[in-house]
Amino acid sequence: MRYLIALVLCCLLAACSQPATDVLRFGLSSAPVTLDPRYATDATSARINRLLYDQLVDFDAAVQPAPALAEWRLITPTHYRFLLRPARFHDGTPLTAHDVLATYEFILEPSNASPHRGSLTLIERIEVIDAATVDFHLRVADALFPGKLVIGILPATLIAKAHPFNQHPLGSGAFAFMAWPESGRLQIRRLSDGQEVEFLLVKDPTVRILKLLRGELDLTQNDLPPELIRYAAVQPDLQVQTGKGSNFTYLGFNMEDVVVGDLALRRAIAHALDREAIIRYVLGGAARPASALLPPDHWAGALPDGYQHDPARARALLREVGYDETHHPHIVYKTSSDPFRIRLATIIQQQLAEVGIDVELRTYDWGTFYGDIKAGRFQMYSLSWVGIKTPDIFKYVFHSSSLPPAGANRGRYVSATADSLIEAADAAPTLAEQAEYYHELQAYLLEALPYVPLWYEDHVAVTRRGVSGYVLAPDGNYDGLNTVRYETMANTP
Amino acid sequence: MPTFFLSRLLSALFVLFGVTCLVFLLLHLVPGDPVEVMLGESAQPADREALRQALGLDRPLLVQFLDYFERLLRGDLGVSLHSQRPIVDLILERFPATLELALAALVVAVVIAFPLGVLAAVRKDTPWDYSAMSVSLFGVSMPNFWLGPVLILIFSVWLGWLPVSGRDEPTSIILPAITLGTALAAVLSRMVRAALLEVLGEDFVRTARAKGLSERRVIWRHALRNALLPVVTILGLQLGVLLGGAVITEIVFSWPGLGQLTIEAIQTRDYPVVQACVLLISVGYVLVNTLTDLVYAWLDPRVRLGEGG
Repeated sequence: MRYLIALVLCCLLAACSQPATDVLRFGLSSAPVTLDPRYATDATSARINRLLYDQLVDFDAAVQPAPALAEWRLITPTHYRFLLRPARFHDGTPLTAHDVLATYEFILEPSNASPHRGSLTLIERIEVIDAATVDFHLRVADALFPGKLVIGILPATLIAKAHPFNQHPLGSGAFAFMAWPESGRLQIRRLSDGQEVEFLLVKDPTVRILKLLRGELDLTQNDLPPELIRYAAVQPDLQVQTGKGSNFTYLGFNMEDVVVGDLALRRAIAHALDREAIIRYVLGGAARPASALLPPDHWAGALPDGYQHDPARARALLREVGYDETHHPHIVYKTSSDPFRIRLATIIQQQLAEVGIDVELRTYDWGTFYGDIKAGRFQMYSLSWVGIKTPDIFKYVFHSSSLPPAGANRGRYVSATADSLIEAADAAPTLAEQAEYYHELQAYLLEALPYVPLWYEDHVAVTRRGVSGYVLAPDGNYDGLNTVRYETMANTP
Repeated sequence: MPTFFLSRLLSALFVLFGVTCLVFLLLHLVPGDPVEVMLGESAQPADREALRQALGLDRPLLVQFLDYFERLLRGDLGVSLHSQRPIVDLILERFPATLELALAALVVAVVIAFPLGVLAAVRKDTPWDYSAMSVSLFGVSMPNFWLGPVLILIFSVWLGWLPVSGRDEPTSIILPAITLGTALAAVLSRMVRAALLEVLGEDFVRTARAKGLSERRVIWRHALRNALLPVVTILGLQLGVLLGGAVITEIVFSWPGLGQLTIEAIQTRDYPVVQACVLLISVGYVLVNTLTDLVYAWLDPRVRLGEGG
């Protein structure tokens, strides 16, 4: 027994001093699923793949398509020519138009079951002109097309050999793959200066902050409840950075339902909600109120006047449609079992109760909740749209042809006006003309209220002292790792 | 004895078959579709159907089950729908971590429970007894998701003695093992107390005392040994509980074990992985239960007779 105690004490003493390390450790709330950009759909995989692979096109600050690996020219409305800049894969071989062709042909082949095929089916054929030039021929004109070429490019030779990119990625991005010894631990290296970054899975947000305090992590981003952000902000060893986000949170309704299908009731809900208070007191100020799906800084975004918190107006609207003190509307509100989402839902339930709307809250695990929403088994729910870049989301979400499974019109919203505006925007030849239609559409949707817009949540990064130069992106990607600087410190608490 | 052995074995196989059927059915009945998770909502219906076909999910449930069961009998657990890696590899990667944590938690539980239980029994109805049982009550009342972060705060952040989480250093296991083992220690200490109190009233203990043996020798050599049988049985069964119940602790401490794998697989509706994990945990339970039955029958022939009659 004495030997056991001595052994334990020795281990404890050995653990007291941790060696300083040059590796920047990034805490993740969910592990990447695959490092093959042809199959990645989860946000973590997509964000890490951006670092490992180059993509033809990226987006600028106004979320307009911008050249990345290639610049493009519109030859005809259905013919785009892409001119590649010189680039090399991490094994030294040059990236050519053949690699672009192989990557996109693989995705377009139905038997490969790539989840990205659906957004690229308008491609009729791809043609290699020379090593640095590739043409895309479309079935129909689409001014948004360049913004769809955001898949990382893979080497054609390895695609032909069925290389397991999901486990051993090889791209031409700013970071090279080092090792992925286990699902929750991924190591990559910045090519410009050799800075190593290790992604570590730490699901529990409290533990993530404690690991930052202890020096076992240097950086984490998002998925932190506001109270932990406030706690981190007052720790001398930590820094909290916030940036505007574009992730849109909303209340959705089943338009076929007798109760919430009533426009007056939805307007009453919009007036009953005190979003400013929720943002200030629950979200810790880390959000901005939304009145449309796209944020105002998006090229097609708009800022129509939203609904003001006006309980008297909400009560009046309810009276107009026959509700009174003795006869309240009753709504079932579904949300996920995430504790923070439940807290938000409870507050919304309380705010609606104050104007006489009875809300029954039902929480489900994510799979069940999401399954119910897609199947239309709901009256009211709350969700967020994450990482929206192109305004064709409106067609996908609000057009009458997009009822599930064809699209994500989960509320079964059918409006001839919305359809015609979406179609007009779709057919407009330039982004400027499209923007006008989308502005009009967003104003119309705010009137019709198939969604009650809530807010755009900010992105939050918490770093240890010594970490600088990390820039938060509006879509929450990890591109800040391209510029982050890291001064090694002794990691003693 | 061979008949008893055979009947236990058959019973274990029957239970395992039942578990296999139940897990398969339940997983396919809960809402959520792996194809939706893999392809996303924007996928074309034709692509969804093609993938469903490729994965064999378009076949009748019974055919899927028979296929799964046949592969299972050949030792083929299948391939993860998401990572496309063989499930055996995934489990072999994670199982050692879970086993290591469960065994360490068992050690923690024993180290805490035995002195506490003995103290409470020997000093029955004294402040020692009340204190020991209060500590035990406190231990069983604390949820792991709370105890874990509190231990991290004290021993990792404030004192700086131990790593917060992960499995990188030899000392990484201390806090998760204490977190997981505390509740078991609490239950076990109460069992030790109860079993010891029963034995202390037996004739042979009185005889030992009458022979002039020291109290220490009476308790540790004679009474405790005889009180151990039910406690050790429960301890064995608890290993199964620890193997299957380490999910929260694994998440809090980022311990790369089966619990994390199971949760991730459930969230993404990765049916084959969930089935394999649950089956593995069930096999653990059934094995331990069967072994316990057999050992009991070997030690006490009355058990065999009871079964036969």
